[in-house]
Amino acid sequence: MSLRLPGASGAPLSFSWNGRRLQALAGDSVAQALLANGIRGLAWTRKAHRPMGLSGLYTTGVLARVDGVPNVRLDQCLVREGMQVSRQNSWPNPRFDLLRLARLVPSGWIKGGFEQSNLVPSGGRLFQHWEALLAFLAGVAEPADQGFAGPPPVGQRLRAEVLVIGAGPAGCAAANRAAQEGREVLLVSRGESAARYARQAGAALAPLDPRVRCLFGVEVFGAYREGRLLLGAPIDPARGAVALEADEVILATGRRVVPTLVPGAWLPGVMDARTALALAADRRIAPGKSVVVLGDGQQQALANRLRQLGVQVVAVAEVAELQRVIGHNRVRAVQLERLQPCDALVLAGPGLFDDSLSFQASASGRLQLVGARSSLRRAGSTAEPDPALAPAQDAAVLLCPCFDVSGREVDELLEQGIDELEVIKRLTSCGMGPCQGQPCWDSLRAYVAGRLGVPVLQLARPTLRPPRRALTVAQAAGLCDVVEPLQ
Amino acid sequence: MNLNAPLPKRCSILIVGAGIQGLSLAFNLAERGVRDILVLDAGYWQGGASGRNGTLIRGAFSSVEWTCFFAYSNQLWHGLSRRLGENVMYSMRGYSMIGERTATAELLHRTREVHRECGIDSQLLDPAQLRNVLPALAHERVSAALHLPGSGVAPHHAAMHAYHKACERLGVTLRYRTPVAAIDRSAGRVSGVRVGEQRIDADVVVLAGGANSNALAQMAGVPLEGYPMRLEAMALEPTRPLIGPAVALLDRLCYMHQTARGEVVGGAEVAERPQDTLNADVPVMAATAKAYMEMFPQLGQARILRQWAGLVHISPDFGPLLGAHPALPGLFVSAGWCYGHAGAPAAGELLARAIVEGTVDERMKPFAVERFVQGRPVVEPGIVLSHFE
Ligand SMILES: Cc1cc2nc3c(=O)[nH]c(=O)nc-3n(C[C@H](O)[C@H](O)[C@H](O)COP(=O)(O)OP(=O)(O)OC[C@H]3O[C@@H](n4cnc5c(N)ncnc54)[C@H](O)[C@@H]3O)c2cc1C
Repeated sequence: MSLRLPGASGAPLSFSWNGRRLQALAGDSVAQALLANGIRGLAWTRKAHRPMGLSGLYTTGVLARVDGVPNVRLDQCLVREGMQVSRQNSWPNPRFDLLRLARLVPSGWIKGGFEQSNLVPSGGRLFQHWEALLAFLAGVAEPADQGFAGPPPVGQRLRAEVLVIGAGPAGCAAANRAAQEGREVLLVSRGESAARYARQAGAALAPLDPRVRCLFGVEVFGAYREGRLLLGAPIDPARGAVALEADEVILATGRRVVPTLVPGAWLPGVMDARTALALAADRRIAPGKSVVVLGDGQQQALANRLRQLGVQVVAVAEVAELQRVIGHNRVRAVQLERLQPCDALVLAGPGLFDDSLSFQASASGRLQLVGARSSLRRAGSTAEPDPALAPAQDAAVLLCPCFDVSGREVDELLEQGIDELEVIKRLTSCGMGPCQGQPCWDSLRAYVAGRLGVPVLQLARPTLRPPRRALTVAQAAGLCDVVEPLQ
Repeated sequence: MNLNAPLPKRCSILIVGAGIQGLSLAFNLAERGVRDILVLDAGYWQGGASGRNGTLIRGAFSSVEWTCFFAYSNQLWHGLSRRLGENVMYSMRGYSMIGERTATAELLHRTREVHRECGIDSQLLDPAQLRNVLPALAHERVSAALHLPGSGVAPHHAAMHAYHKACERLGVTLRYRTPVAAIDRSAGRVSGVRVGEQRIDADVVVLAGGANSNALAQMAGVPLEGYPMRLEAMALEPTRPLIGPAVALLDRLCYMHQTARGEVVGGAEVAERPQDTLNADVPVMAATAKAYMEMFPQLGQARILRQWAGLVHISPDFGPLLGAHPALPGLFVSAGWCYGHAGAPAAGELLARAIVEGTVDERMKPFAVERFVQGRPVVEPGIVLSHFE
């Protein structure tokens, strides 16, 4: 079943998924190419073996093995002729996978921190076997087939008067303004071009001032030394990391849609607006055959745009109406006020500001929980206050798909009087998987605040630690002679 | 863990700091029948170094003093799950010390002799044996490998959880988010502490405040050697098992292991001015990555999930400062720990004996608080740490 829409371009090529040959168009990411072929489940969560896919919400859903390298992000990796891609966390192989039996285990039995149970206490031989089994299961993927060949990609150090992070409309405007003031500006963005998302959404934009220096395809993931030093890593792991310094740093990273706290929100077919727009506008792939669009204000505009692009939108509603997402291997329907069958759910909101960088630039104190005033300035939607997430109604919500931490498990800790998010994190492993708490700590915080009946902002979020898998070991090694230790 | 319950007005033994040192001591005191123990911590549970370390447990070093102490502690780890009634997940997966330079190979040979004297089971691995223990290692770089089959790792969250539960079960009162602001003395001995406005009387006060130890000593008006220092670590994205034992790459001041969750966790030291902050920095991550890439090439393309920092208290000889403080009767210290996770079971037990019975065990004696003024530092060449010069 192809989801490719008319008007697609790119040279045809073929690649393999779990040994099966598939067609793609040059320019597709692997995840997009798989969806175009109707393949939605790309990964299994490590414990309950829940299927996950391309969502823009959870990194875990798009990690697979590509040409002998484990944990490659399929949404950031362009498909190449002859590429061999396979699903991880399976045994003995992805097509005949005995680990799938884990799906028969009642979900209440599987807990984030289950490896800490008293089932097999340490001190005897049995524990060593048990631990070996846990390590095999938790590891999800076989190590790389081969060692890294050659020297590490050497890092570079860049300086500018003004550093703007994020090349959306707000970032471009801030960069243009600084350039017009005669200041030396560096604009860094994860995307390969400026204002990608706005263009896909159909917005007209002013061009970038030619004096703005651009560094595209680079994710800025960490702020160090009170924000005086930032690190970025190219999406392409063959390129070296960059250390950035500037007199002024402007964050224009916009907002990231957070998953709605309802059961089933992790299922393949649920995705954020950016992912859906990139599929439909850039690659001419429909997010699904029949699509539901929900949001907290932007949903109608997004639905109109998707329809304009040829996507069949079957319902548009407020996200607050969503009660659950229904399906076993993928989305089959959503429960709004009525049951709405569909195979994709696109979320246009609510969106939160990713404050990792400002946190890292400012967090202070022996416990790192007090955020002092950050020296990083915010522009555009990044500067607006976050909307409060609606409290979860259902304890069956999954707060952290990577570790299968449900609301129920957190309730058990709350009943014991444990309500510190840092402690809940350590006891459940919530947010300690590949996504590194993005978005799980927002979900956890909203969930606990709802349960305690306190404002969300009253609870300190667990510390947001870099590099959140933006950087490979080799890229980090390439920074050895680039950043001197403090003397 | 009721955070809002009122604090008691008095207690028998008051421990400042509920890291693994404070908790292990409280457990051992309670097991010896001491009642009314109060443990106060300024932060959250596992917020100190005890919730941020590399979790390695090494049962032998290169000096007789360190080896005797840590061998005993490692032995206690083996039976700790049973004793605490909770799973500490101690994994006896072995610990390999890898040398690359010729001088390090010589050190490892001398170390083997020390182990023989102390009755420790350790082996210098020949290339074939090393290939068996660590197949993924870059063997061409190795000059010598000394393996401790009886050592291992224990996840800090499991250990802290187990000690915490065991303390609660034995009636120890624990309070987090409760900073001690002053330490009082009267009639020439310690008499209690103050938390905000409230005074708590105590017969004995123990300083187990980790990186904050110098500040605590100052509150008590006594001298204490050492200074706070930041250590950093990082975790890689999980894979199925690649690295079996815990590993110390001695020439790179680097330690690492692969957790039961599949992540490779470890860190390397770089020469930097000691930092008193929990914010992580770039050079340690870069040095650790370089060590991984060169010594375990299959990790080259792996992605780094997170990096973090913890603060420890470093003494002039890197050894613990353990026992009664000579300047103030009733005041005891457990500080100077840079291997305080590994050392906690023994430190808790031996210090509890010193407090309750007044006896100083032979294994603890070399680490007395006053050893520096007496000119008796303990020289330990086999650790992955150095002072900044
Ligand atoms: C990155 C890193 C890696 C490490 N790797 C290892 C390893 O592999 N193996 C190993 O054995 N060790 C390792 N260590 C060292 C080990 O973590 C420490 O030695 C050990 O945790 C020390 O325990 P502690 O209880 O003394 O200190 P902490 O755990 O720091 O506890 C001290 C507590 O005192 C509290 N406190 C301070 N001041 C006050 C006050 N005024 N009032 C109340 N409470 C106060 C603090 O809140 C804190 O919780 C590592 C450390 C780090 C940072």
